[in-house]
Amino acid sequence: MNAAQRQPAEAKFEPLLQFEMEMGTFLSDWHHCDQLSNFMARMISHNRTDPVRHSNFFSSALNELLEVSFRGGSPEGRIGCSVFRQGPKERVELSFPCSPTQRRFFREAVARTHKGDAYARYLDAISTDLAPSREIVLLDLAINFDAEIRLEEDDPPSISIIVDLPLEGIVS
Amino acid sequence: MSTAVLAAPFQAVFDANSQEFSLAGVIRPRSVDEIAYSITEFRRAIDEARGVLYINVKRLAQMNNTAFHAFSRVVLDACRTRSDIRFVVVTSSVVGWTERMFRHLGKIEPQITVEVYDSKFYPGQSFVEDTSFIPILRAQTKMTWRHERTILPRHGMRPGIAMADICCGIGDFAVLAQKEFQPARIVALDHSKPSLAYARKVAAEFGVTGIEYTYGDASEMLLEDNQFDFVTCRHSLQIFNQPELLLKELYRIVKPGGRVYITNEKNSHCLGEPRAQSIQWTYNELARLLSHFEMDVELGPKSRRYLADAGFDDILVESFMITNLDGDPQDFADVIAGWEKMFAAMAARHGEAPEFIDRFRQGFRDHIFAALHPKGYAGWPIWAASGRKPL
Repeated sequence: MNAAQRQPAEAKFEPLLQFEMEMGTFLSDWHHCDQLSNFMARMISHNRTDPVRHSNFFSSALNELLEVSFRGGSPEGRIGCSVFRQGPKERVELSFPCSPTQRRFFREAVARTHKGDAYARYLDAISTDLAPSREIVLLDLAINFDAEIRLEEDDPPSISIIVDLPLEGIVS
Repeated sequence: MSTAVLAAPFQAVFDANSQEFSLAGVIRPRSVDEIAYSITEFRRAIDEARGVLYINVKRLAQMNNTAFHAFSRVVLDACRTRSDIRFVVVTSSVVGWTERMFRHLGKIEPQITVEVYDSKFYPGQSFVEDTSFIPILRAQTKMTWRHERTILPRHGMRPGIAMADICCGIGDFAVLAQKEFQPARIVALDHSKPSLAYARKVAAEFGVTGIEYTYGDASEMLLEDNQFDFVTCRHSLQIFNQPELLLKELYRIVKPGGRVYITNEKNSHCLGEPRAQSIQWTYNELARLLSHFEMDVELGPKSRRYLADAGFDDILVESFMITNLDGDPQDFADVIAGWEKMFAAMAARHGEAPEFIDRFRQGFRDHIFAALHPKGYAGWPIWAASGRKPL
């Protein structure tokens, strides 16, 4: 079952675009993150109020998510990415296979984006960490893109990171 | 001295004279090692700087967290060891995420401030953004379109192309171009949010879809290289204080083999009969006045040189005269009345004496008199030029 079919019935997000590919193929080239995020951003932004700037903003967020899956995903299985729209908001559902350790990490990282100290953690990570962790990437999305992030784990070994991005309101 | 650190897809350049370290393009490395050289250069820039170091990210289209973290660490570490230096991060109002990301650095270290580059885009912008001027702009486009609809195909306009209208203003030219020539894609860019809001409103009211109106700085566009078959930039080089900078961007976004089309005036050649002398005096003075605002409204005949210097070949130049005989003379008169109001305000801003302003206004009124006179003739010349980007 693909991500579009798993879309909860109560949500009124309309499907816009999706891709699926072998995880091994995806992991074969780092530039896939940049290329896919730019392509999808351009496609889904064409009918936004300011397509060029919406595309730039959306590509920035989607690239970070794809980089997260690139760094934390397992080579077996498929990666799938679907984009939906509800009014001024886009929803990205990114599914990819990962190890139980990684699933636990993502569970904790997503939970931290909802906590009251998220901003303090973000600032602390910028100022003290030697390199950005995947946790800071999710905090970045929550803080700089006003994203709401949740996790679905009903299709192991894959996980789905679901990110709602209210970019139309930010851009325009 | 400028040092280019790395070529495409991004540039990191340190200008020691202005103490400015600029990052531009797309920086999405997998690891910090890929940008190690730029990081080293950034450290060197900090070592050399005294007082203030400007970190210019206006043209930074994309930067992933790996790169952001790496550059941030350098500047944050510097704050801890160099209490004598301030850092000013200059972001663009066009690239929204940069301001959101970089502002956090100031929360960590007070030595870092973030400035959004925006309002003072060019010296005369506030005058052309005056929304009361919109009816005049619409009338101007209506008058020029009578000529340009036949001129444009000679310069490369044709159905099915990808076109961009840069400095689109209130967007009416893009609408006319879409209706007449049915390009496959139109991007219309301007740096005035009120003008773009008006353009979108008009497009919605008239059921016009498919024009991508976008907010942007024409001298530093987010648009990618080599994207368009045809790029128009009308009546804008002449009011921009650095036309060569704008042309460089137009050159960048047009495809090899595609053409850039520009229109500009030579205001001192506006004419009318009767009362020719008064009209001539005012338009000569107008050209002089606007030069104080860094506008060259005599640019029209210089188009060939500008296009050649920007690297274009196969340059075509022609001129046409909008006159009171083209359509309703009242349209012509209304435009000149609008000019009188706007340019008299600029003369006052420049500190001209009341006697000067009275005489200055009279020339416009005489131009209107000539336009509405049953035997009169009034003209406004425009130069249309285009050049091809070499293959």
